[in-house]
Amino acid sequence: MPEIEFTLDPTTGKLELHVKGIAGPACEDVAKLAAELLGAPDRERNTPEYHLRPRVQPQVRPTGNR
Amino acid sequence: MSKYLAFEDYVLKDRRLLLAALADLGYAEVEEGAALPLYGYQGDRRPETAELVVRRRLLGSASNDVGFARTSAGYVPIVSEYDQRTLHGGRFLVELRTAYSERVIDEVRRRLHGTARRTVEGSVVKVTVRY
Repeated sequence: MPEIEFTLDPTTGKLELHVKGIAGPACEDVAKLAAELLGAPDRERNTPEYHLRPRVQPQVRPTGNR
Repeated sequence: MSKYLAFEDYVLKDRRLLLAALADLGYAEVEEGAALPLYGYQGDRRPETAELVVRRRLLGSASNDVGFARTSAGYVPIVSEYDQRTLHGGRFLVELRTAYSERVIDEVRRRLHGTARRTVEGSVVKVTVRY
């Protein structure tokens, strides 16, 4: 299950977020949402998980011919 | 006389979340408009203008208006030197940023239709949003 871990330091107001459980550039959607609300991040780094290809399940369509 | 400083590197992007964060700090009454004038503690008009203003009568007898000027990057706080030192014990901007961050977390959770779990580790707050 994808999750975002936010770390907020009330002594400085600094906020960090770590997106986990999303393989591939789908992470960018979360990054875009964060940028929409927080602006451009001061630092940005892709974790190894980012570079994994998302697994796509093969789809089988019923043809109706038996 | 104190002077006003603009924090270019400290912008608050979302108007609605900024208003909510100000309300969290006790400033629910915020004037909104285009290029509103800012006034100092003696009623003197300041050269700066802002789109969101918390009037000085809501802040303290010696306070100046606090404004938020809209820029292409977001809202930039305009807070006098005096108010930076005294409002919320000198922590106004930090507390505002913290309140804004809390609102951002809740907005992300809401938009992703997720659930949130909150823990405190030492001096930091960790919120995990699952969706």
